[in-house]
Amino acid sequence: MSEPRRVLRSVLCMIAAAGCGDGGGGTNAGNSIAPPDGVNAVAIVVDSGPLGSNGAPVGYVNGAFVTVTVCVPGTADCQAIDHVLVDTGSSGLRLLANDGKAGGELSLRLPPLEDVGKKAIGECYPFVDGFTWGQVQLADVRIGGEMAGGMAIQVIGEAAYPVPDPCLGFGNDEDTLEGASGLLANGILGMGTFVQDCGPACATAGSGNPGVYFACSSSAPGGCVETAVAAGAQVSNPVARFATDDNGVIVELPPVPAGGAPTASGSLVFGIGTRSNNGLGSAVVIPVDDRGTLTTVFPAQGTRYPQSFIDSGSNGIYFLSGAATGIPTCTGTGGIERFYCPPSPMVLSAANQGAGGTPTSPVSFSIANAKALFASNNVAFSNLGGENAGLPSLHLPAAFDWGLAFFFGRNVFTAIEGAATPGGAGPYFAY
Amino acid sequence: MFAMNPMTTLSAIRKPGWRHWLVALALVTVVSATPALAALGGDVSSVQKDRARFKASLQLSTAAHHTVHELKAPTGTTIREYVTEDGRVFGVTWQGPWRPDLRQLLGPYFADFQQAAKAKRTGRNGPLTSRTARLVIEMSGHPRAFQGRAYVPELVPADVPEDEIQ
Repeated sequence: MSEPRRVLRSVLCMIAAAGCGDGGGGTNAGNSIAPPDGVNAVAIVVDSGPLGSNGAPVGYVNGAFVTVTVCVPGTADCQAIDHVLVDTGSSGLRLLANDGKAGGELSLRLPPLEDVGKKAIGECYPFVDGFTWGQVQLADVRIGGEMAGGMAIQVIGEAAYPVPDPCLGFGNDEDTLEGASGLLANGILGMGTFVQDCGPACATAGSGNPGVYFACSSSAPGGCVETAVAAGAQVSNPVARFATDDNGVIVELPPVPAGGAPTASGSLVFGIGTRSNNGLGSAVVIPVDDRGTLTTVFPAQGTRYPQSFIDSGSNGIYFLSGAATGIPTCTGTGGIERFYCPPSPMVLSAANQGAGGTPTSPVSFSIANAKALFASNNVAFSNLGGENAGLPSLHLPAAFDWGLAFFFGRNVFTAIEGAATPGGAGPYFAY
Repeated sequence: MFAMNPMTTLSAIRKPGWRHWLVALALVTVVSATPALAALGGDVSSVQKDRARFKASLQLSTAAHHTVHELKAPTGTTIREYVTEDGRVFGVTWQGPWRPDLRQLLGPYFADFQQAAKAKRTGRNGPLTSRTARLVIEMSGHPRAFQGRAYVPELVPADVPEDEIQ
């Protein structure tokens, strides 16, 4: 499998203006890389993920990856990082450090974000059941031919400061490439509906502050304390900081066969309706609320699930439970038992509805036997699904999580909050 | 840590019986200097510890055979704690832009949650759903829109359907 991938990657590297890392803990920091050329797209590859410590891919399933280049602001001192996960469910660029523990690629030394007292800013960012911790640093972020200058990113790792105690309440520390809590990616490129990763809540000190940002003065216990960071200085969606094409993105992935594919190639396109290659066309605009959620109706005329979302960083389509849907779950242990395993593929109908109640857009999707999918050597699946809640009458946390499986064969638009587009102002998803 | 602000939390209490909470608050102020204390599986007084930790306002509602303590934290997150007639917390839920400190909320079951999160990783990046005899925990959402619930099956009163824990 490695040989075809190498060929594919070299092709992708020619397409991507940013170039590629070597995938095994790249050491190309300091290389001078040509300035961005304005091309508003970067190649997406769906493959088994970056190389792990044993030299083989980490084994990601349904991960959409791009190469992102970061530079010391205002210089040509840059490093290209491959296998950064495209995530429409979060905002902000987070890169795993190459610090001996994290196992990531980023070794370029970037300037820290500091508060007025010259204390380094750290961040503890929660994901669904874990968190990433690390310093906030400043970089020129180049993706495809576009650049966001001098913006805050999170460098995941503990080299400078250990995880502060309050952070541990978010769950497991996801600050390694591999391992049970590993990211299995060299970073996360959050290009969701939000501009900032936290927003106004983190800009003010006090009890309304969720405790995401920390000011660090020492590596001793208690050396990092919760602090406020102005919205404009927070880790943010790089697209919102581009000079043009800054109102959203399109994730374009081809259809894959029912049994999956060993790889898939697509594009992450910047801007909505700003150029000839990013028009909405016939896509239906589905506005989301101020939490980035929409309503999924399932079956198509059935129950409404108002906490649903479209998230390329989730790998499957996760919804309800075996008990609620009647779809058999897989037998076994180790996580497989939460996936769906129907004896033959099922075609299901749902509808996605704007957070305000309109429009309602039907969506047909398929769920196949996850065990059979995993048993193949394929890693790109449009019909991988699993559970997201226990009982049909639940209002919480029942929801549809439309992960990457949903994206194959669709162009999925993500419009940033407050941004003007030909389909109206964000935030919305459209497909 | 943010400084305690008893005036803010006090002013948010509007339910009858607030004098009772005043006494509790005095205890809580002392207790807050110590590490996290159990909620799930603990007795009803642990709800007050959670309220102090999350700087939340509190609303009570009584169902047939249990009480729901709803905490609204200033971060915008709502936490519900389900308490049996004899005063044990058998379930907790949360919904809002940020997840609460789960060490505080899950108490002795926090390690079960951590284990469940690690176990789900086989091919799965997405919501957590884990059911064991000790703990049922389900977590979903994405940054700025999280939701979840956890309950201890053996503590759920026989006449409370599990889908009422929401």
